[in-house]
Amino acid sequence: MTSAIHPTPTDRYPTATSTLQARTEHDIQARLEAHKASPQEHTPDGPVLQRNAHLQFLLRNLVQGFPARYMSQDASQPWLFFWTLQGFSVLSVGLDEQTRQRSINTIMALQHPLGGFGGGPGQSPHLLPTYASVCALAIVGRNGDNGGWDQIDRKKMYDLFMSLKQPDGSFLVSHHGEVDVRGIYCLLTVATLLDILTPELVAGTPEFIASCQTYEGGFGSASFPDWALANDGQIQDASAPRPPLGEAHGGYTFCAAASWILLQPYVKTYYPAKGLPTPTINYAGLLRWLTQMQGLEIELGGFKGRTNKLVDGCYSWWVGGCVALVEGFLGIGKSAEGEGDDGADGEHAWADVDDSLFSRKALQEYVLIAGQHSAGGLVDKPPKPADAYHTLYCLSGLSAAQHHVVPSDDRRADLLKAWQDPTDSSGDLAAQVRKLAFVDTLCWKEDEGTAKYFGGATNRVNATHLLTNLTATHAEGMMAHFYNQTLPRKGAKA
Amino acid sequence: MSYLSSEDDVAPLLYCERPEWQDVTPISQYEAVSSPIAPIFYTPEYKDATNYFRGVVKTGETSERVLELTERIIRMNPAHYSAWQYRYRTLLATNAPLDVELKLMDQIAAHNMKTYQVWHHRRLLITQLTSASLAKDPVDTATAELEFIGNVLALDTKNYHTWSYRQWLLAHFDDAGLWLGELPYVDDLLLEDVRNNSAWHHRYFVVFGRGSRSQATPAEEGEVLQREIRYVKDKISVAPNNPSAWNYLRGILEYSNTPFSTLLPFTEPYTRAYVQPTDDVVDLDNPKPSSDATLPCVAALDFLAEAYVRAGGDGVGKAVELWKQLANEHDTMRKKYWEYRIKEALEGKTN
Ligand SMILES: [Zn+2]
Repeated sequence: MTSAIHPTPTDRYPTATSTLQARTEHDIQARLEAHKASPQEHTPDGPVLQRNAHLQFLLRNLVQGFPARYMSQDASQPWLFFWTLQGFSVLSVGLDEQTRQRSINTIMALQHPLGGFGGGPGQSPHLLPTYASVCALAIVGRNGDNGGWDQIDRKKMYDLFMSLKQPDGSFLVSHHGEVDVRGIYCLLTVATLLDILTPELVAGTPEFIASCQTYEGGFGSASFPDWALANDGQIQDASAPRPPLGEAHGGYTFCAAASWILLQPYVKTYYPAKGLPTPTINYAGLLRWLTQMQGLEIELGGFKGRTNKLVDGCYSWWVGGCVALVEGFLGIGKSAEGEGDDGADGEHAWADVDDSLFSRKALQEYVLIAGQHSAGGLVDKPPKPADAYHTLYCLSGLSAAQHHVVPSDDRRADLLKAWQDPTDSSGDLAAQVRKLAFVDTLCWKEDEGTAKYFGGATNRVNATHLLTNLTATHAEGMMAHFYNQTLPRKGAKA
Repeated sequence: MSYLSSEDDVAPLLYCERPEWQDVTPISQYEAVSSPIAPIFYTPEYKDATNYFRGVVKTGETSERVLELTERIIRMNPAHYSAWQYRYRTLLATNAPLDVELKLMDQIAAHNMKTYQVWHHRRLLITQLTSASLAKDPVDTATAELEFIGNVLALDTKNYHTWSYRQWLLAHFDDAGLWLGELPYVDDLLLEDVRNNSAWHHRYFVVFGRGSRSQATPAEEGEVLQREIRYVKDKISVAPNNPSAWNYLRGILEYSNTPFSTLLPFTEPYTRAYVQPTDDVVDLDNPKPSSDATLPCVAALDFLAEAYVRAGGDGVGKAVELWKQLANEHDTMRKKYWEYRIKEALEGKTN
């Protein structure tokens, strides 16, 4: 093993990119030195999660509010709620009854008469605030009067979604708005949580997602549809090029990969039944790109969002969380329990692959050392100030690096066994999609005993459900309600 | 147009102080919620304008003063998508001159490059302006637009929204003359910074994104591919540790189903320590790394291993050796990934 920390090689050919990179490496190393010199921040066991400082930061935002520079987030108010409320969840802190009710009342003021939620009261419905509002309600809401959940107008929301649908399978984020995979991720998550995912809604969407994968393996923001469309606006030439708009990018890649997985209940059911070729993406290219985004030791193993760009704390989730999501989905590392060591030696020792394709330890190191602001809250990178967005996504990334959350066969079987459909329409494709959406989404479960806490167990944060970025409890609670199911208890291994 | 001059007004009156707005009933944000969580501390100007905006939206008014109001909000918060949306509807409803609007946007975009809405609004305007009924010459419009985008990119060469907008524009107008200018443009950017991944992506978009639509003959396609391979080899030789260039190389080989192994003679010198050339013969097809290069280059090892494993046979063993080097020596951060590649290869999956 090499112990010396090398800077990113520049081949003695400096450009703007390498100069900025070198400066960032310097800043991160300076932060590391300062961190190690601070006994409150760094003990002999390693860096310390400043839990209390972050809770104070979240509490200040929730109770006192945000300073005027957050005016730029006026159209993203549900995001401010979600980042803050989910921040508490990741830090294992529940909220009192009164705060929850205030939260519900605030969120419900954002529901639009046309369906969906806006960025603030009186703002137009938009897919992004709709996701943030519904996820925030998963955290603080409940069924019954004034609980939020039963006040969501799902019929109108579905109509809104359909009105945003484009012929190429994509969706506008709002009327007259743009198309991009963030909006689609938001729509699919909400549709899955609220039980309004239908074959009609997502027809063509898998193909759209696939078209956004770039030659690098990650995904861009959208793709260009027109060459595939006939004059009447319908898809005419499915083989026509639909080139991605914009390079592979961490945020879009998370949204595309999660969308792809959320679409599988539809893909697995519908395509074989209709005799259609199943759409594909390049998994090998995706895994390569995702792992390439992890920075070097000198960058403390934080993640970048694009090739040759800088590490940034929010990609701890968008990319780090995405590696965990994709490898879980593909079952990589799953053999660990079953195979054991069958006399592992020689070449076979290499088969003893650990439980992740990225360095979980290094990512924790980045978040704990470069990601924490000493005054509370988390950051993009030093010396930037803390903000609500980076606070959640650094913590979520830390969670993805600590816990190993994967689809569990046992849990899946239990969920299937407990499934109840009084209409007994098992022959109906839509009913099958619905059942799979419930089972496939909720079978993600922490692999017991595999959590790893850099700096010690006191740094533990809650496990996150990788598809929704909620805790499993919140995702389960909301889905059990809307699918009208009773969840089987999570027992010990069968 | 009155709404064009508002930038010069140093301290415009609040809407609640203006008699001509008296007929509008402002609506405060959380009318029905007594103590909302996580409130933002707005400036009085912003609170005032958005109160009137909610009032206007409620009555459905579309008029010139709505253009003034939405502009004011957008200047304070360019991410206010509802203000943009309502503004666009109002422009259409009032038959406002869209070329005037586009000029205003030139100004606003230059200050707010990172906002989605700024670029999307341009896209709506350009689409409208060049639609049949308005019959503005599409190519002239697109040419002017490319120039504008170029000016913005000069300030921020990796701006995501600007690049994707440029790509949309080229594909939307799909004019041979427009496409022609793009390679020299990318070339300039890569001369300036060979590590600019946005420029590499754009190159791929321009050269390969149109696929069969470029209507090249197979012979021409072959020539283009050879030209691109030569191009990227040259760029790699200048700065070998540049993942953008290697990714481009891999991308175009995969696109054209060209075996990676055809690049072995080029790649190998990048996977070893530097060797002083023993003669003066320069192999133009396979430019070598200079003595300034940090070798071996991780991306080259990755490429070489890929070439070997795809070739199969005893290539698998060679790939495994390279992956071990990457895992244990040259790219330890990705140890788990390289070990995964080894495991997959030994199980007979080419990946
Ligand atoms: Zn960030």
